[in-house]
Amino acid sequence: MLRNITMSQSANRRTFIQNLLTGNAVTAARQSPHTLVCLFLRGGADTLNMFIPYGDDEYYRQRPTIGIARPKKNGNSSALDLDGHYGLNPRMKSLKPLFDEGRLAVVQGVGMDNTSGSHFECQDQMEHGEASGQTVGGGWLGRYLRSHIGNRATSLSAVAIGSVMPESLRGAPAASVLESLEDLELKTRASQPETVARILSRLYEAEASMLGKQGSETVDLLKRVRKIREQKYVPASGVDYPDHKTAKGFREIARLIKADVGLEVACLDFGGWDTHFFQGALSSFHGKKSEILADSLAAFDQDLKSVRHRVTTVVMTEFGRRLYENASLGTDHGRGFAMMVMGGRIKGGAIHGPWPAMKEENSEGPGGLQITYDYRSVLGEVLRGVTGNTKMNAVFPGAERSQIGLIS
Amino acid sequence: MKKLSRRDSLKGAALAGSTLALASCEKMISSASRRFGQDFPDTVFVAESNDIDDAYHLLNRAAYGPWPGDVSYLKSMGTQAWLEQQLQPETIDDLACESRARRFESVFFKPGNAYEFKENVLREELSRHTLLRAIYSKRQLFEVMVGFWTDHLNIDLGKGDCIYFKPWDDLNVVRKHALGNFRDLIRASVISPAMLVYLDGKENRKRKGTDDVPNENYARELMELHTMGVHGGYTQKDVSEAARCLTGWTIKKKKAFLNRGTVYFNPGHHDDGEKVILGKTIPERETHDGEKDLEDLIDIVCEHPATARYISLKLCRRFVSYDPPETLVSRVTEDFIKSKGDIKTLLRTILLSEEFNQSKGQRFKRPFRYIVSTLRALGADTHAHKPLIEYFNRMGQTPFSHPTPDGYPEEETPWMGTLLWRWNFAFGIVNNEIPDVKLPLGKMAKSTNALSGKDLSAETIAAYLLGRQATENETAAIEEYRKELENGNEHPKQQAELLAVLMASPAFQRC
Repeated sequence: MLRNITMSQSANRRTFIQNLLTGNAVTAARQSPHTLVCLFLRGGADTLNMFIPYGDDEYYRQRPTIGIARPKKNGNSSALDLDGHYGLNPRMKSLKPLFDEGRLAVVQGVGMDNTSGSHFECQDQMEHGEASGQTVGGGWLGRYLRSHIGNRATSLSAVAIGSVMPESLRGAPAASVLESLEDLELKTRASQPETVARILSRLYEAEASMLGKQGSETVDLLKRVRKIREQKYVPASGVDYPDHKTAKGFREIARLIKADVGLEVACLDFGGWDTHFFQGALSSFHGKKSEILADSLAAFDQDLKSVRHRVTTVVMTEFGRRLYENASLGTDHGRGFAMMVMGGRIKGGAIHGPWPAMKEENSEGPGGLQITYDYRSVLGEVLRGVTGNTKMNAVFPGAERSQIGLIS
Repeated sequence: MKKLSRRDSLKGAALAGSTLALASCEKMISSASRRFGQDFPDTVFVAESNDIDDAYHLLNRAAYGPWPGDVSYLKSMGTQAWLEQQLQPETIDDLACESRARRFESVFFKPGNAYEFKENVLREELSRHTLLRAIYSKRQLFEVMVGFWTDHLNIDLGKGDCIYFKPWDDLNVVRKHALGNFRDLIRASVISPAMLVYLDGKENRKRKGTDDVPNENYARELMELHTMGVHGGYTQKDVSEAARCLTGWTIKKKKAFLNRGTVYFNPGHHDDGEKVILGKTIPERETHDGEKDLEDLIDIVCEHPATARYISLKLCRRFVSYDPPETLVSRVTEDFIKSKGDIKTLLRTILLSEEFNQSKGQRFKRPFRYIVSTLRALGADTHAHKPLIEYFNRMGQTPFSHPTPDGYPEEETPWMGTLLWRWNFAFGIVNNEIPDVKLPLGKMAKSTNALSGKDLSAETIAAYLLGRQATENETAAIEEYRKELENGNEHPKQQAELLAVLMASPAFQRC
């Protein structure tokens, strides 16, 4: 009744999962997928106050109030020098070692061709992996998963932390939305989930078919997740995730990666970056958020120390903000931004892309940072480099790609 | 930012003032539809044999599973008479379903006018309309065929302006011809505005005196997916020639209110030269005659024997099994050729065949069928609000959202990863946790005669849900579940969860 090809595909996956279950670590480790983690900073994050171009005086002229001071010795309120031109926001100091040790790369001047300045339009376009006016169908991660694993997808191949499926995963062969691992459970009320799982297992085991196998695998998966859940999760020693929703999301993703459930893609959000008012320099919203962001990323990196080679994290936002501060100590919607890429396979310790001198004639729209790289160039290069997927034309149809040099 | 249209602001005002009124309106529809016969009858058929009941089997495939009372109704009518009635949907009174599904006005608008609605309204209304008809319509075979052609002529609402045009396509292409003639269906689809957008037909032009290269996207899918099948025997040259035939068909793009989305033929953008497709010659035309190429092309591809074979195979896959017996496929193919693509003839041949009857339980329900058949088996009351739609999203079968033109896959493998969400859907509904989905569980227990005193016979419920007696293993599983419960005293909630276990069982994943 089944075609041979599907039989053998599913047999491969079964063997793989059986290996995982029986703890055949060698095989399991060889087959562990590379996990791509996508963090979306919603609202248009001001990356100019994360990676401070202190080498350009214009920055201080444009941002007299909210600008962050040039690196000083022993200064807690001045930028931490990165490369003689850029300094790191001191509240993001936890990222400094990652940069220095070469696991964090920054690409300056990333953006898209959409000039609307609309959060909704730009987020949508970016999550769909499109050019302005182009409609491809589905999200970029959906297309990636389809081309990369297709029918082999399981409920844990792609995970979005939150309550709704992000647009980027639209069209994915399978994906789960969950707040935490607690969601991966049978939602019984009156009976014990374990009891129901055992009964289901009995029912599915009696089926000599792919459905039977899949049912048993799903019960096993629940068992595994339950075990992961029951052992109180202890991050690697010395790792302290901030008390924040996004950080908790990273913690759950780390848990899934270490549990080796076959996670290919994980998405999470960090909202509230639309800093039109009272953005502040270091002490207000932007500074606080930047610190949580940095501490979350650093904790995630440290927690995954043993498996860094198979995890890559990209941090994006729909657009950057203008170079000049506004009258409310905030910044308005701009264009280009700095994208962060983090992981063991990343050529870090550098800020890629030229610094577009902050002159009016160089700016995109009113006061927006010049765009050097289309966002799809960065995502495409990372995807190809770390996952070996070469079908970038299926993921980003029609996108021109420039070479950045992000993969070590 | 999109401008707020008059309708939006009216809607906004109405919504703000009348969320309550809307909810009670839905309550009224629910109670009215019970009176129109959408209730659990006092007795329902409970299977006594070990094999899946014939009538139940037919309803599992020719309908989205039996609604309470359907099996008895079909048995009292006889298979043939029931099928003939289903093949004449206009003769079936469908008032109860109409009252639930007819009130979404954006579904009934012309393409141009649909721009008055916001995208999320269009998406929500079209999805709810489709879902409510699948659950409640008594014209079940019609709805099943609507689902089949929606996959066959897939259009993703996410592409371009498809979302504004798909409601019209749904009514005037898919629903209009679902049980009609295959050629008419394809003829309607070729120049449906949604299809012209989805497969770039609107960009397919050859301006006179230029080197314009026709856009072949649609022509290729017409042959590969809509008619002949990928190995149907056409060549790249045939695709190019077909694309040339269709040059000049496009849609009005101007934002001028009413004209937008109107399909027209632009003779100045048509390639009038001679074309040869699949060995047949379409003569060079006078400029004003160029649109006749369309009819010739449709004739050629629809009359090609590969098309008869491919469509017959697809229908057999949907209705019989993924690898249908060759004996049946060739009979259906012959009928396709003899009847010139009369869809009703094909369905008769398939559904009355011995091969069909031998295929019980061989198909794996895709998420759409799983959810709808569950709601139908339980006689659920719902108006298909977002929380219910969310389960389709989670199982990867969001209505009208398959990104590629091949439609949601028919094979079972791609859907195997959805079991956990199916199980949790079953627990969600029995525990009353999906807002707006209400189950008459007490009535079901009575109608199936599963109650004796306080004891609920899960075996009886299983026989009702599965169309056959529970297997030894299923009975043992039910026993095992019972033993787990304290002192053997089942709490009503646990009885309800035992019902969920049955709907989560492998047998209920099949049809």
